[in-house]
Parts: sequence; C-alpha cells; structure tokens
Amino acid sequence: MMSFLKKNDTRNREKGNRSGPFRRGLAGTAALAILAGGLSTLAGCRRGFGKDAQGKVKVVATIYPMYDFVKRIGGDYVAVNMMVPAGTEPHAWEPSSRDMLMLEEADLFVYNGAGMEMWADDLLESVQNKDLIVVEASRNVELLKVGETHDEDHEHDEDDAHEDEAHDENHAHEHHHGEYDPHVWLSPKNAEKELETIAEALIKADPDHADTYRKNLEEAKNACQDLDRAYTEELEKHENQYIVVAHEAYGYLCHEYGLTQIGIEGVSADQEPDAARMREIIDMVEKYGIKCIFFEELVDPKVAKTIAEETGCRTMALSPLDGLTQEDIDAGRDYFSVMKDNLEALKASFE
Amino acid sequence: MPSILQYAYMQRALLVGCLLAVIVACLGTVMVHKRLSLIGDALSHSSLSGVALGLLLGFNPIVGAVAICIVSAFAIEAIRKKLGNHSEMAVAIVMSTGIGLAGVLSGFVKSAADFNSFLFGSIVAISGFETRLVVILAVIVLLAFILLYKELFYISFDEQAAAISGVPVGAVNAIFTILTAVTVSIAARTVGALIISSLMVVPVAAAMSIARSYRTTILWAVFVSITSTIGGLVLSFYLGLKPGGTIVLLSVAFFLVFRTIGFFRSGAKSTVSSKEV
Repeated sequence: MMSFLKKNDTRNREKGNRSGPFRRGLAGTAALAILAGGLSTLAGCRRGFGKDAQGKVKVVATIYPMYDFVKRIGGDYVAVNMMVPAGTEPHAWEPSSRDMLMLEEADLFVYNGAGMEMWADDLLESVQNKDLIVVEASRNVELLKVGETHDEDHEHDEDDAHEDEAHDENHAHEHHHGEYDPHVWLSPKNAEKELETIAEALIKADPDHADTYRKNLEEAKNACQDLDRAYTEELEKHENQYIVVAHEAYGYLCHEYGLTQIGIEGVSADQEPDAARMREIIDMVEKYGIKCIFFEELVDPKVAKTIAEETGCRTMALSPLDGLTQEDIDAGRDYFSVMKDNLEALKASFE
Repeated sequence: MPSILQYAYMQRALLVGCLLAVIVACLGTVMVHKRLSLIGDALSHSSLSGVALGLLLGFNPIVGAVAICIVSAFAIEAIRKKLGNHSEMAVAIVMSTGIGLAGVLSGFVKSAADFNSFLFGSIVAISGFETRLVVILAVIVLLAFILLYKELFYISFDEQAAAISGVPVGAVNAIFTILTAVTVSIAARTVGALIISSLMVVPVAAAMSIARSYRTTILWAVFVSITSTIGGLVLSFYLGLKPGGTIVLLSVAFFLVFRTIGFFRSGAKSTVSSKEV
C-alpha cells in the first residue's frame, strides 16, 4: 500500500545517458540561468538545514503548497526547506548544485508531481542519498488532462507536447508535463488528498510522532472541507461562468465548481500570446460579458492589462499558489488565506 | 472575417511595429556597414543587466537598461577600434559581459515578475506609455538620420577618408551609438529582443542584394522591414502564429527572394554588395 514511498536506492542506474527534459532555450538564456544558479549558491546561506533542524525530520518541499502542507502536518517535528525560492515562478525554475546538497541531507523529498516539477526525475536520479523517502503528493489525486475543463483553446495544448519526448519510461506512474494539469492543489478536495499522502509519509519517516501527525492531518482536512463548503456556496450562483486568467492553472478549481477558465497562456506560464489568441480572448470577454481579467503576481501582467484596456474590464490578482513571495509568507499568508482571497476575488469579479 | 483595425491592441502593434521597423532598418544600415550586425543582439542582452541594476538599486529599470545599453555600445566602439581585423569580437565580449552581469544581478532580484516584465516585450501587448515613448524615439532617430545623412554616408564607406574630408566622425559615431543603444533598449522591452536584433540585420542584407546605391539600400531595407512587420502581424492575427517569429521569418524570406533576384542579375553587382564581399 505504501508503494509510493519509493526508497531511493534504485535511482542511481543509468546516470547521464539521457538528454534531460529541460527546455534549453537560447545559449544566452542558459548562460543566464547557470550564472543565476551560481549566484544563488553564493548568496545561499538560507539553503540547507541549520542547527535547529537537529532531531527533526528534514524535509525538502519543492513548491509553496508542498511546503505549506508539510509544515501543517509536521508542525514542530519537521524542518522544511522550500526548494523553489519564494517569489519565483516555478515553471521556469531549475535546481542548482546547492539544491542537490540539500537533498543529500534530507529525510523526505516532497514534490507535487503531475508534471509540475519537470526537473524532479533528473534530480532524483543523481541523488546519492539512499535513505531519502520520495513523496509525490498528487499521487492519489485524479488528474485532469490539459484542456479538459475548457474547449476553446486546444490549440495551445500542442505547445507542451514536445516536452514529453525526453522523459524516461522508468517511472510508470509518472505524469508528464503537457499531458496533465499539475495545479491540483487549487481544489480543496485535492489538497486534502495531498495532505493525506504527505501525512502518511511523515508517519512512516517518524513513527514516534504519528499521533501528532494524525491530529494535524485531521485539522487540516477540516480546514479543507470548510474551504470547499465556502467555495461551493459562493460559486454555485455563478455556475457556468467564464473567468479569464493569466495562465491555465485553474482547471481543478473550475472543474470542481463549475466555472470555465479562458487562459491567456497555456498551462505553463511562459508563452508569448499571439495576435489571434488576443483577439479570441477579447471577443470572448465581450461575448460572455466578462468583467474582470485575472493576473498572477508572479507573471508579468502586461498582456492582462492590454486586454483589460481593450475591453474596459478591471484587472485583479488571482493566485495559482505555485509560489508566494517572501513578503506574503512573512505577512503570514498561507494556503488557506490565499485560497480565501482567491474566493473573494472570484466573487468580486462576477459583480 | 474580423478586421484587424477594430482592435486597439492591433492598431498599437501596427503603429509601434512600423515606426520601429523604419528606425531599426535605418540604424541597421549604419551598423551593418560598420560590421556590427550583431550589435542588436549584444545590446538587448546587455540591457538585461541594466534592468536588474535598476530593480536592485531602486531606480526605473528602463532608465537602467538605456544607461547600460549606452555604456555597452560605447564599449563595443572602443574595443572594436583596438581589435582591427577581429572587430566582431568586440560585440561578443560586450555581450558576454552583459549576460554575465545580468545573471549575477538577477540572483539578487527578489520578484521574478518585476524582472520578467522588463525583460520581455510582446508586440501584441504594448502599453500607452510605450507607444508614446516609441513615437518620440522614432521622431528623434529619423531627424538625426535625415540631418546627418551625408556624414553617415561617408563614414559608412570609409571612416578615414571621411575624417580627412572634414566629417566629424567621432561625433556622428557617438550620436548613432547612443541612438542605437536607446532604440534597442526601449524596443526590446516593447516588442521583444528577437524582432529588434533581427530587423537590424536581415532587411539590410536583403536590400544589399538588389540595391545599387546607399540610398536605395536604405529604402529597400525600410520597405522589407515594414512589410515583414505588417505581414507578420496580419498572419499572427488570422492564423494564430507567434508574431515575433513570423515577422523575422518573413524578413528572411525577403532576403532569399532578393538574393535570388540579385543572382540572376549576375554581372551587374550592386556597388554596395561588391564592397561588402
């Protein structure tokens, strides 16, 4: 039953004979990325586990929702490091050698999966840490294919198709970017499942505190259910409404609560829109009487603003939660508060 | 079939695209004759470090980009003069420095969105402020180009001879170095680095294949540049192609066609291209 807790000892086969699935852009971009990586190493004292991690379960979580979920279940018994730095758009991020070192020390590696962390396979393959427990949090979530909740923009699906090619066939259950929408946590029901998966892993890694973990899981699940109720109640009135979003991250949210998303960009947040797509969106905004264009804090709102200007809409922030900024985290914002803010924004957008 | 002009973003894309197409083709003619055809690439990459610097030190990143671009352009000029036969390395050296600096500095920039919004322009998402900026820029560049046309003409062919006949070579070079730097740094943010660095070279190369004089080279380059921009936007609008890439490929198609025409005219090689070969 715990098959998802893959011990890492089988992962060192076959090193270095694959062309990684990373999309290498222009040489310039690559050089920039390498240098940026090098710099974050220099400035990277914040990375790695400090002294206060002693005696705790050392967890490396990839993106913000994973980090938040682990902290929620683990409480004081875990030391969590977030791999993708705060304020970074995770679609374009890649790990550095410092991140590898962090993994060597860790007890648990928690990633979302479903194609969110395209670098995860490569990373895990080169890690030497034999005791590392690897947790794919989206493991028990029923995944939606890209474009499943909306029918008006299949043409953007092909953009992601090429990313599948370089993936290896080692992990039969692995989901490739482009095939499935990875932003599962935006539905509270899925968040509940991810929390369960993470809790199971923590209990396995640290059975002494199993009771605490179970108790924290119960609390978190209750919070998810409250959230789900609030969403259902508020969004029921707006069933079949359209929302225009910066990138198609809200498939699960829309699927769950009967909305349809119109994404300015595809499921990865790094594509330039073309003139025809802009026209389609503008026409849809007018056709469906949409009053608001959502942008994301981590993505340049330029396109959203252009469309809003053209159609006389407002713009509002809607967070896909794939990365909070450090200020947000310092201000005490977390998964639940951001999800509530999102609900408020959605409500306001229909008025 | 929807009309292109009924959408404000397309009107803006056409206006800004065409203005930039004209001035970039003009500046490109100057730069290509100075054997600096990759300067657009180098400057647009270097300007990234100006953006990062601006974000870090708290001044307007566009100002940072313009400033770094001007410094880089002068650095290219200075290194180019020292390297003699290997002047194209000047561009590579400055570009490497700029990218390296941008890489290091970007590690200190906290918010990725802030950074990205200044890095990548998109021709279909141009703000009102950017439109005004480009209009002003275009007027300045065109005025300079027309007023200094004779001087440029001399310098493009032979700097030394120009200097001997009394052309203020240093001053004219400096003016166009600055204008190129400002144009690239602003245009890269507005319509994207790809369009700018390509339109600086490809239309000029196309024009040189058929034109018989300096003046017709410029006119053909402007023609190719504008036609590619409008054509690219129209294709993008109706067929859903990415605008930047489409514009660039159209200009390359012009190059191939013009090259073929030039080839069949055979013996009658244009003065410009025979000088270049």
